[in-house]
Amino acid sequence: MPGKFGTPTDPDYALRLAEFEARIARGEKIEPGDWMPEEYRRQLVRMISQHAHSEVVGMLPEGAWITRAPSLKRKMILIAKVQDEAGHGQYLYHAAETLGISREEMLEALLSGRAKYSSIFNYPTLTWADIGTIGWLVDGAAIKNQTMLAQCSYGPYSRAMVRICAEETFHHKQGKEMVIAYAKGTPKQRQMAQDAINRWWWPALMMLGPHDADSPNSEVLIRWGVKTKSNDTVRQEFINEHAPEILATGLSLPDPELHQDPQGNWRHGPINWEEFWSVVGGNGPMNKERLEARRRAHTEGAWVREALEAYAAKKSPIPMAV
Amino acid sequence: MSPKAQAALIAKLTALADDELILSHRDSEWTGHGPILEEDIALANIAQDELGHASTWLSLRQALDGTDPDRLAFFRDAEEFRCAQLLELPKGDWAFTMLRQYLFDRYELHWLSAATASTYPPVAEAAAKILREERFHLQHTQAWVERLGQGTEESNRRLQAALEGQWGYAQQLFVPLPGEEILVGEGIVPELRRLKEDWLENVTRHLQASGLKLPLPPGYQPHSREHHTEHLWSLLAEMQSVARWDAEARIW
Amino acid sequence: MSDTQWPRWEVFKQDTPNKPHQAVGSVHAADPLHALLTARNVFVRRPQAVSLWVAPASAIFSVTQEELAEGPKPSPESTGVAGAYLLFRKTSHKRSMTFVDYVGQLEAPSPQAALEQALRQFTDAEALAWWVIPASSVVRSEESPETVESWFAPAKEKTYKQQSYYGVVGTHTSKLRGRGGADES
Repeated sequence: MPGKFGTPTDPDYALRLAEFEARIARGEKIEPGDWMPEEYRRQLVRMISQHAHSEVVGMLPEGAWITRAPSLKRKMILIAKVQDEAGHGQYLYHAAETLGISREEMLEALLSGRAKYSSIFNYPTLTWADIGTIGWLVDGAAIKNQTMLAQCSYGPYSRAMVRICAEETFHHKQGKEMVIAYAKGTPKQRQMAQDAINRWWWPALMMLGPHDADSPNSEVLIRWGVKTKSNDTVRQEFINEHAPEILATGLSLPDPELHQDPQGNWRHGPINWEEFWSVVGGNGPMNKERLEARRRAHTEGAWVREALEAYAAKKSPIPMAV
Repeated sequence: MSPKAQAALIAKLTALADDELILSHRDSEWTGHGPILEEDIALANIAQDELGHASTWLSLRQALDGTDPDRLAFFRDAEEFRCAQLLELPKGDWAFTMLRQYLFDRYELHWLSAATASTYPPVAEAAAKILREERFHLQHTQAWVERLGQGTEESNRRLQAALEGQWGYAQQLFVPLPGEEILVGEGIVPELRRLKEDWLENVTRHLQASGLKLPLPPGYQPHSREHHTEHLWSLLAEMQSVARWDAEARIW
Repeated sequence: MSDTQWPRWEVFKQDTPNKPHQAVGSVHAADPLHALLTARNVFVRRPQAVSLWVAPASAIFSVTQEELAEGPKPSPESTGVAGAYLLFRKTSHKRSMTFVDYVGQLEAPSPQAALEQALRQFTDAEALAWWVIPASSVVRSEESPETVESWFAPAKEKTYKQQSYYGVVGTHTSKLRGRGGADES
């Protein structure tokens, strides 16, 4: 709808922007249909669709272990967890759709390799203990971000996040419970858990994004109430919670410089950003396989989607204005 | 309960559980690979429900002989499983998966409805509980069969091919276990032969209304749950690989 | 036929018999029954629910408070007919999982007229956004006890999806502070 997304060349832009920012300052939610800067919309579409893609691609590394889960309980939990990730992707695509982008467009961007998703899912899951570790560390890091985003000024994104946070806490807890159990388990189980922690600790720190000084979008996102905390702040919260809890299990963390400072904050050693940007750039161990799996599912599902459309066209045509 | 009836009931509960466990496993292979996000979620619901039903039947067995459900699921070899061969078949395409689920759901609905009248209260209670979920499954898979059958030429062709591949196998769901007649005699489980008529009538009507060609030549019909397809061994090798990886592990 | 992700349907969930149906999100589905089944699969993975409605997103006339202040908004042509309309309203900026809640049904010659009528009729709270939906395009789950039991009750027993199932695991962070961290829990 023309005029809904304002650009700085609009004659009334300054006035409307001031009203918009005042609304956010008052704690109001921006809803679909309200005026918003085009840049706000663009940033949200970028963030939300990336986030949705991350959930959907994030199903793969864990989903691969559903058929190998070692007990009835773990199998049940893992199906439910990976299913939740599909659900979260689904909620997020919905939130992005309210900004005028279609699921088809977003999927095309993902499958063509243009869209980004969280690079952590380009690491392989090598053993069963990775499942617990992903729950504890990766979901633990994700929840820190999601809790913040539940405060977001854009109504549909905020609502998706509130729902996701409510569901996601179980992901974190089941992972933590599992790793703690293995840390107290047999030597083989303990070793497997330690190996998984060693491999996932640094990627988990990286997934919270570049340092504030290197994060070009942060400032405007904070001003417009999309993000309410910086990457480094969220990362510090994550480490403060997780480092002592992991150490308390008797497992170690793969950072010789990790220590608690006099203020009580756990300080980490230097992060290997070269590796981070390399994985973001498509050179992680699993980038190609993950995308390939998504493409295959999409291609193999095409006849199914067509069949239901054909059936609907015969039986119950609905108004299709979208 | 006589020792003979108890042994027969233990065998029956194991077979019920194995059907659900193996079907759930096949369904869960779709998680992350469905034709659209919504259906990924839908099938993961069914996989969880069936797995839950497997646990329910195993816990009924545990109450009788004390066997740990996880030991049964993860430490039995293929020849000790008592699932029907239909459920072992690889997941195939979406038509194959939906049709198998439909044929099984329809069978389960009849079986469970009758089993709510079991003279053994734990079976009657479990059946009533499981029946609630199966009603929804059947609505879901019935809708899918209708849509694929009447969708495009391709979806109809795929569904028909799935039907021809599964029809003979599906008949095994109505082959009683050795000794099952004791349980039927005591009113503990329903008689399969009677259920088969209802099932056959219902599925034939729905499949034909969905544009599929029936009746079909019976084809290969497995007759004993002691025999399996060549797929079960590798399915279990995968399913049990972590549980068996550490012989000392007591907790997973 | 070109490949799509199917049309979008908005989903309304009723948590208990005394609460209104609330907009919880949307699903992509091909036809009305499929949309309803899909809504159950997506939005009733956890408790709780007693009823679901779905409506094609294309049939919804939506207006925010800001839009209202700017004057009349044209409603979608496909839905501009006389009949019964369902009215949904958002009244709070508080954090929530839901958007608009069902407030009632009324007869009107068009969605725009239904909205004007609603503005006069439902004045008990400030409206931040409205949805107007033709009753004829809303598909509802059956109200029979059997359906409610089958569609909605089982989610309550899937406790492994609740964080409370895992109890308190490990030592809480607050107890570890300043202890150097390497102790056994």
